[in-house]
Amino acid sequence: MSETVVVKELTKHYGNIIAVDKVTFHVYEGEIFSLVGPNGAGKTTTVEILECLRRPTSGLAMVLGFDVVKEEEKIKRRIGVMPQDFNAFERLTVLENVELIARIYGVKPNLQSLLEELGLWHVRKRRFMELSGGMKRRVGICMALVNDPELLFLDEPTTGLDPQGRKECWDVIRKLKKMGKTVFLTTHYMEEVEKLSDRAAIIVNGKIKAIDKVDELINTHGGGVKVCVKGGSEVERLMRNLTRNFRHEEEGRIVGVFSNKQEALKAVLQLYNLNEECRVEVIEPNMNDVFLRLVGGRIDERGELV
Amino acid sequence: MNQILAIFSALLKNWVRSKSGVFFSFLFPVMLLLIFGTVFGGTESVRYRLYVQNFDFENGEPTDLSRAFINALNSTGAFEITELSPTLNVTAYVEENPSFSSYRILIIPKDFQRSTINRSIAAKISVATGLLGYVAERYSKDMNETMINELKTGWIALNQWKSSLETGKNNLLLLIDEGDTAAPVIKGIIYSVVNAFNNRLIGTEEVVSVESKSIVERKLKAADYYLPGYIAAFIMTNGVIGATSTISEYRRNGIVKRLAATPLSKASWIMGNILQQAVLAFMLTAIMIGLGWIVFHVRVHLDVCALLLIFTGAVAFSCVGMVLGGIIRDVEAASGAGNAIAFPMMFLSGAFWPIEMMPAYLQAIAKLLPLYYFHEGLRDIMIHKSPGSAAQAFLVLAVFAIVFLFLAIKITKWKEL
Ligand SMILES: Nc1ncnc2c1ncn2[C@@H]1O[C@H](COP(=O)(O)OP(=O)(O)O)[C@@H](O)[C@H]1O
Ligand SMILES: [Mg+2]
Repeated sequence: MSETVVVKELTKHYGNIIAVDKVTFHVYEGEIFSLVGPNGAGKTTTVEILECLRRPTSGLAMVLGFDVVKEEEKIKRRIGVMPQDFNAFERLTVLENVELIARIYGVKPNLQSLLEELGLWHVRKRRFMELSGGMKRRVGICMALVNDPELLFLDEPTTGLDPQGRKECWDVIRKLKKMGKTVFLTTHYMEEVEKLSDRAAIIVNGKIKAIDKVDELINTHGGGVKVCVKGGSEVERLMRNLTRNFRHEEEGRIVGVFSNKQEALKAVLQLYNLNEECRVEVIEPNMNDVFLRLVGGRIDERGELV
Repeated sequence: MNQILAIFSALLKNWVRSKSGVFFSFLFPVMLLLIFGTVFGGTESVRYRLYVQNFDFENGEPTDLSRAFINALNSTGAFEITELSPTLNVTAYVEENPSFSSYRILIIPKDFQRSTINRSIAAKISVATGLLGYVAERYSKDMNETMINELKTGWIALNQWKSSLETGKNNLLLLIDEGDTAAPVIKGIIYSVVNAFNNRLIGTEEVVSVESKSIVERKLKAADYYLPGYIAAFIMTNGVIGATSTISEYRRNGIVKRLAATPLSKASWIMGNILQQAVLAFMLTAIMIGLGWIVFHVRVHLDVCALLLIFTGAVAFSCVGMVLGGIIRDVEAASGAGNAIAFPMMFLSGAFWPIEMMPAYLQAIAKLLPLYYFHEGLRDIMIHKSPGSAAQAFLVLAVFAIVFLFLAIKITKWKEL
């Protein structure tokens, strides 16, 4: 798999603030890559360095094989961008906004099929300001697609959207992947990482805490699969045999933690084979657990670390 | 170029569709023109009220000379003359009528005609005797005895006649209020009429004469003054207030960032904005001229020079806007700063009233403001039809435009630090 983005020891200072601190990661062609972290973690700074909108203080950043410092023009022609808090010309229509970007690039794409693809053709004559939040973001993605880029940067594409808008946005992003695009997105929604991303990097205070395939992140840092069971002494004895990581919880519940799903399922099978009647619940770890274990906190709905 | 046009048309469309933008850019200036043009438009040219009390009567009729003098005052067109009856006690009248505002009374004394004629004869005699004396002194050696004696007799006879003439006081008396701001003007006009009379009566030719020619073929009206002033002032506000807040807004809402992420160059963005402001300026000019013509019958002269000056002004002031909008991040603060610059400039530059009405130190300040040169230049071209006089305006505005264009390029950030 070839590397679409290569970042090595990338650092960005704003005066005394170190916004990005010796960050190293790769993004592979055709994947959906997420940079996930709370507000102020350095996501936008990183993305905008890759978009050639900010200058790095030090380190290397290559996008599609071009250096962000020296080959700005070549990169800008080949990428698509939707900035954080995306806005277009309010009183221009959807179509006019998309056409503007096409004229800037000097390209003549088939706008009808592009707009249809994103479910925007029926609102093409509506002014941007009249659209719902979710539609506005789709217009943003559409504008980012006009030059048929190989790589798209979407900075917090679903922040501030209602669940419906967010889901529609995810569908569009999945479509991008099907179209063969590489998608680099930032988010503070763990759910977005799980549902959408192939790989993710967790960034906090300008530093990358972990980077891997999402499944692997959860397997490695999720803290194992929990099997919760309510039962008698037979159950307890079995659980003690199966795992060392074992504890009692309120209402007589017994929780055993297994390193992965296979182990947990084996345990569940054995529990069912007991004569004793029991109720079993399997709790798989998710990105929230990963984040909690790596960072020692949780990100709330607004993106703040708590 | 295509990029510039793309940006320009997007900006223009976005602006045209904004009701408040259009309101402040067009409706506000139009309203002001209508209001001010109407309020001050009534007096086509200034006429001063003047009361004349004539005591010079002969057989119950005013004398010919006093009549002629009043007619001469009238024919200057500067006065609205009311004659007061000679039986009236002026001081009492003024005291009785408090509404007798800014009294300006010219009193023609009794025997004005007789004294004046006698004095003019005396003056002519003086000229003649002076001439005789001059001839006697210069050419006596070429003359014989009889000629010299005849000369002497004539000289004596003339002087005797002169001393027999009754040359009583014939002074005109002008009563004028100390605080009357028009006093110097009125005195000036009366003096010149008196001078003309003196010359005519003595029979001298005018040695020095002033030939005065009207600069324009028709009388200037208030709206003539206001129209170029308003056009200039509102092109300025569109740049300094309008462009400042739109640029700042485009920066705040991320449009600038979105565009910076495309291959669009910073120069194209700036040019697109300037072009939009220039088109706005031309639209404003067209509307104001049209309105001035329909409502006030102001016919302006619009030529390439005028359009070029308008363009230069639009560039200069929109660059100011781009600089301000580029420096100040907060949209409210940016438009506040625009207002803080534009409003004092508008009022101080004399765009709304003749600069001569302002105290000297304010006039000095006005001449430091680019708007002063802008509206003066526009007036030179559009009303006085003398583009030559607008050369200074062109120069000042062009320098100003270049400096601020340069600053705009420096300050507009296409890339964050
Ligand atoms: N232009 C800037 N000047 C100074 N500090 C900045 C600037 N942009 C971002 N920062 C700071 O850098 C850090 C990272 O910001 P950012 O990259 O926007 O984070 P994120 O996108 O993850 O919320 C924050 O502490 C932020 O305050
Ligand atoms: Mg951000």
